[in-house]
Amino acid sequence: MNAIDISGLCKQFKGKKMTRVDALKNLDLQIVPGEVFGYLGPNGAGKSTTIKCLMGLIRPTAGTATIMGEPVGSVASRTKVGFLPENPAFYDYLSAEEYLRFVGKTFRMPEALLSRRTDETLKLLELWDARKRPMRGYSKGMVQRVGLAQTMIHDPDLYILDEPMSGLDPIGRALVKEIILDLKKRGKSVFFSTHITDDVEKVCDRVGVIVKGQLEALDSVENIVRKGIEGYIVQTRLGQGEHDSLKGFNITRRNETFVEYFVPVAGFNEFIALAGHHSVEVTLVETKRKDLESFFLEIVRKGNS
Amino acid sequence: MNRVLRPSVVMLLSLACYGVLLGPFCAYMKQKPVEEKLGYVPSATLLRYLATDQKEFVAASLVMKTVMYYGGIAEKQQTNVVVAPPDLPAMSRLLHGAVKLDPYNMDAYYFAQSFLTWDAKQYKLANNLMDYGMKYRTWDWYLPFFAGFNSAYFLKDYSAAARYYQKAGELSGSDLSRLLAGRYLQESGQTGLAIAYLTVMEKGETNEAMKRNYHIRLTAFREVHRIEVARDRFKEAKGIVPTTVEQLILGGFLVPPPVDPYGGTFYLEPDGKVATTSKFAFAGVKNEKRQHTGE
Amino acid sequence: MLNIMAISLKGIFRDRIFQGIMGLAVLFLFIPSAASLSMRQVTELSITLSLSLISFIMLLLAVFLGATSIWKDIERRYTYSILSLPLSRTAYLLGRFLGIALFMLLTALFLGGVAMLAIKVASVLYPPARPVLWIAVLASILYGTLKYILLVAVSMLLATVSTSFFLPVFGTICTYLAGSITQQVYDYLHTPAAVKAISPIMKQAALFFYYLLPNLSAFDLKVNAIYALPLNASGLLMTALYFIVYTSVLLAAGAILLGRREMK
Repeated sequence: MNAIDISGLCKQFKGKKMTRVDALKNLDLQIVPGEVFGYLGPNGAGKSTTIKCLMGLIRPTAGTATIMGEPVGSVASRTKVGFLPENPAFYDYLSAEEYLRFVGKTFRMPEALLSRRTDETLKLLELWDARKRPMRGYSKGMVQRVGLAQTMIHDPDLYILDEPMSGLDPIGRALVKEIILDLKKRGKSVFFSTHITDDVEKVCDRVGVIVKGQLEALDSVENIVRKGIEGYIVQTRLGQGEHDSLKGFNITRRNETFVEYFVPVAGFNEFIALAGHHSVEVTLVETKRKDLESFFLEIVRKGNS
Repeated sequence: MNRVLRPSVVMLLSLACYGVLLGPFCAYMKQKPVEEKLGYVPSATLLRYLATDQKEFVAASLVMKTVMYYGGIAEKQQTNVVVAPPDLPAMSRLLHGAVKLDPYNMDAYYFAQSFLTWDAKQYKLANNLMDYGMKYRTWDWYLPFFAGFNSAYFLKDYSAAARYYQKAGELSGSDLSRLLAGRYLQESGQTGLAIAYLTVMEKGETNEAMKRNYHIRLTAFREVHRIEVARDRFKEAKGIVPTTVEQLILGGFLVPPPVDPYGGTFYLEPDGKVATTSKFAFAGVKNEKRQHTGE
Repeated sequence: MLNIMAISLKGIFRDRIFQGIMGLAVLFLFIPSAASLSMRQVTELSITLSLSLISFIMLLLAVFLGATSIWKDIERRYTYSILSLPLSRTAYLLGRFLGIALFMLLTALFLGGVAMLAIKVASVLYPPARPVLWIAVLASILYGTLKYILLVAVSMLLATVSTSFFLPVFGTICTYLAGSITQQVYDYLHTPAAVKAISPIMKQAALFFYYLLPNLSAFDLKVNAIYALPLNASGLLMTALYFIVYTSVLLAAGAILLGRREMK
């Protein structure tokens, strides 16, 4: 059973003057248990729409989706999920501790477990000192951390996080990444949306890129990295062997002692062979690849055109 | 510094202006015409719809408004300050509106009875109001008591009076109404009837202005009663009917001389009935005076 | 649902609304002296003033608590975090409603207690012609509370479809005004004068509203309380049933509408 199973999901919004806007077009997506999935896309691409459909906040126009086998929109589908809304807001007259207890009770946690988990999560997210204060006085980062805490209180198997890093300082971001990696270690599934590729590369198993409501790419991070290899930068030492034999390759840099060539993937074996044959000493080989950012930008550009 | 100083200056200036304005403003409000003070109350039918579930409260405020208005004028009259007489029709309108909103409001009936009869001389209207109230306040002996008095004393409808007094007697369980029922039959009993009525009213009154009002009227009627007794004794002793109050005083039948608390002078009408120039009202004297100065 | 009710109640108390009510309750201190202005019915006037004050406070509470609760949750985006919990929207609506209803009951209890003290003082100082019918005073306060709880249901129903604050607030006030007079209009329609003057279509329209709008005048027992008029037991029972049924219909409609609403 998949943690999340989306098939043929469509969402139309009524726009101005009777027009209809397709926020989601025929989305198919599966998240397997134990997977950390990064959901990438520019602002307004449909990331939040997907997540709101999953959480039953809005109804899909067509298609189906299940969470842990339960159809979305049902109460049962929400019992096994920890959900963090985008820029979350919580009843601000409550303190973090009270809110966590409220959430825990909603998940019908037994009292002893709830008390223990409340203390643990408050400490984990560094909210312990502020736990008795009403959230009215919290900073944006603190509220975001309360948001994460309330997803974790009942220790669900699936986490759906909408922009979990937004509003956090670098220390907070690092903390969140650490938490996600820890969840992954414990076999939990995490589905999170972001528009920051750097976050994805560090923690995700797979990424999907959505542009204008359409899933434009879906692949493992490993594959993307591998496919992204354009060639190699090969450095050779001057004053040894016949460099003329390598004339066919582009020189990217040279100085008194070294020459750097760009070698496409297809020409690598030939280059090495030639170099060996002509006694050219190869001092360094570096893979040259597109990073996730440019991968992402390329897809977005393609999707927009 | 400026952040505090500037608003403080403005505040002080505004307060000073407020102080200056307050005096003229209050004076203006004080001299506002009577009609405006009593206010134009929308029709009772409309009020009934607007009052939602606050009908009793609105009714009570209408009555309070009328009482305060009347009380203010009465107090001035009692201390001999010259004021315009109260706007009785407007007061009547307000009270009628009040009982439409809350047909149980006793203050409205009670107050209407007190001024519709002596002051406004709208006896029939007063009794209609009492009849209306009796449909609701089925336990209250005051309403038939008032109506009975009005019928006997003002309207001279003795059979109606008998009916009302009967009802009042049954409801109150006291002898008072039956006592009164015996009196109204004789013409000479009229003053006694009024005194008995006023005594009951004065005793039950809590509002100071109203109580004083009853007291003054009661004093006047006690004086009338004294003159009547003196007149009858004079007739018995001398065999002739006296024509002036002075005759009674000079003859020693009336000691001390009667004083009209309304400021008028008692005199005897040709048929021997005791009357006063004040017509038992403060406004009455003024009208007289005005007429005199006008001539 | 009880969970939501508990935090709703907590929210109302944390917003210092109860302190505000206690502040207003100071007005009850003045009621005995204000009532002594009456000539013939001091105790009756003190009951009138007390019940009117309670009624007024409860109306304000009903309109503002009812109209703001759901609207505020949507406006401040609390609904994203609350409705994504394993909690049906019906349970959320009912929890919110019960929280407010419970607060109204507590307020009525408190104000009723203070009012009865004020009435007692007035009746000792100026004994009334007829003894105070305390059961009627209690019934009047209780039924008044039921009426305003019904209004809360009205305002919550309106809040489930509205995107602004105005529809729930003004809609509730209008319902209150209209609901208080429908019976009078109905009675008027059956007078001979009206039969002649009103066209059948108008009459049908008026009847339609009479059956549609809540009949709030049924809950008004002030006259019984003020003038110690006996209560009609079967009438009271009927009114209580009317309250339960009408409120259930309102809440069910609210649940349906909220269930269909998209939390964009």
